[in-house]
Amino acid sequence: MSITVLKAGLQTTLQGAPFAGHRHIGMPAAGAADCVSLALANFLVGKSLDAVAIEITLTDTLFQINEPCSIAVIGAAEYVRINGRDRPQHQTLKIKAGDQLDIGPSRPGCRTYVAISTEIDADRLLGGQSTYLTAGLGGFHGRALRKDDAILFTPDSLVTDLERTTPENLRPHFNDDHVLRFIPGPEAANAHAEVLDGLCLSSYTVGARANRMGLALEGSPLVASDSSNMPSAAVFPGTIQLPPSGQPYLLGPDAQTTGGYPRIAQVIRADRHLIGQLSSGARIQFVQTTTERATEIYREKLSLLSTWLGQIKLW
Amino acid sequence: MVDDEPAIHACDDWISITLPNWEAVLAAQIAFSTDSRWIEIVPGLDSIAVQFDPALVSPDDAVNMVRYQLDPAAPLPKDFHNLITIPVCYDEELAPDLDYVAGKLEIAVETLPSWHASRPQRVAMLGFMPGFAYLESMESCPAIGRLENPRQLVKAGSIGIIGRQSCIYSFDSPGGWPIIGRTPVRLFDPSRNQPTLLSPGDSVRFEPISKDAFDNWPLEANK
Repeated sequence: MSITVLKAGLQTTLQGAPFAGHRHIGMPAAGAADCVSLALANFLVGKSLDAVAIEITLTDTLFQINEPCSIAVIGAAEYVRINGRDRPQHQTLKIKAGDQLDIGPSRPGCRTYVAISTEIDADRLLGGQSTYLTAGLGGFHGRALRKDDAILFTPDSLVTDLERTTPENLRPHFNDDHVLRFIPGPEAANAHAEVLDGLCLSSYTVGARANRMGLALEGSPLVASDSSNMPSAAVFPGTIQLPPSGQPYLLGPDAQTTGGYPRIAQVIRADRHLIGQLSSGARIQFVQTTTERATEIYREKLSLLSTWLGQIKLW
Repeated sequence: MVDDEPAIHACDDWISITLPNWEAVLAAQIAFSTDSRWIEIVPGLDSIAVQFDPALVSPDDAVNMVRYQLDPAAPLPKDFHNLITIPVCYDEELAPDLDYVAGKLEIAVETLPSWHASRPQRVAMLGFMPGFAYLESMESCPAIGRLENPRQLVKAGSIGIIGRQSCIYSFDSPGGWPIIGRTPVRLFDPSRNQPTLLSPGDSVRFEPISKDAFDNWPLEANK
């Protein structure tokens, strides 16, 4: 019972729910970088919304699926083909044994999720199965997939009769211009007064250093205060740090648990799934909001998604 | 008493609390850990952060929960720590920055292992990566800066030092601390009941071992 990787792409990993409750021992969240696309894909194949799926980054990939099952594809991929024929995203797709699944490059956006109706056999630790690449833990032996790897899955419930199509109004639109809303971070008060104004007034471009740990942003540099003596303090996915260079660094799902640069801002939870779709060259406009408004936005987003997906958590 | 009020800063799903020292951080961590509404409780060196689910708890309520649960008058826990001995090989092959650090300390390179091993250390916090430990020595020490150019690869087990603080890298990773030795023991093993070797508050003693002992360190000794 397996899926054979014929073309692995730039960074293809098994990702589902993040690790939770272990940041105090240094274990980052990991998990799907775009949890909304993951949830929508899993729902189309009848899986729990945060079940482990295949996360594909930027370049095209090719898989051979060796058993009949259902799959669903949601994300930035330009096309989805089964045995060379174009197939749509956002609906349950039936697979026959030996079918070849071809996922196109991300245009625009960054990541695509392939959900499978069966239970993917991923390494388990600390209550999770997602891949944490830096320490080589979880997922497929803690690493990105390579050509000829076989992703194993359990044979039960291979075929379901489920046929679902994501409602139009819930389909994510991918583009390379993003608005991310933020709350001032703990060190914003100590930072130069114009730092947050600068963050909002400048438009930032995601630099070449962009991965699951974080994204270096490029724009008009902000005035960094001396942080050489800042004691290490907690950071989270979505934290915006200000290193001495003055170019902000936006932390991603694999962000380390603590850091020594001023935490000038925090992207709100409701917008954090968008970070997973940022790739080098994407433009970001930051907008400041309040904790009250952020909570409203988060609850509104959950309520909209739950009309289709039922109870959902974002991370 | 206003000066003793910890600084509390709320983001939309986490709150940072600045505290006077790591002992107070540890006391706060123990206090917060009884409330399951905190999804994450993340100690820093002089601060702690708690994360919550804003679908269930509003940031204002979360701040009130923090104020209620933080008791600055609570006595610090005393008997919570273990004494853990960590074997370290200070061989230059594993310790690229011996000369740099000995220079900063103005001591001979040969005496650096015994100097480092004689200093009692406490685990101040875990963070950065799974099992990565920040240690603090009680004794004063000249400042030793981080490397100007961080390394792309620091091997797992490497011991770094920047003055009163030492650290132990738990996995291969990039890093900017000057490296003076390496331990063969595993800092993080998810198959163990307690995945991390060290916990905040633990006392650590470094025990110098030879390169030969390092190379032949039995894997089962990690268990």
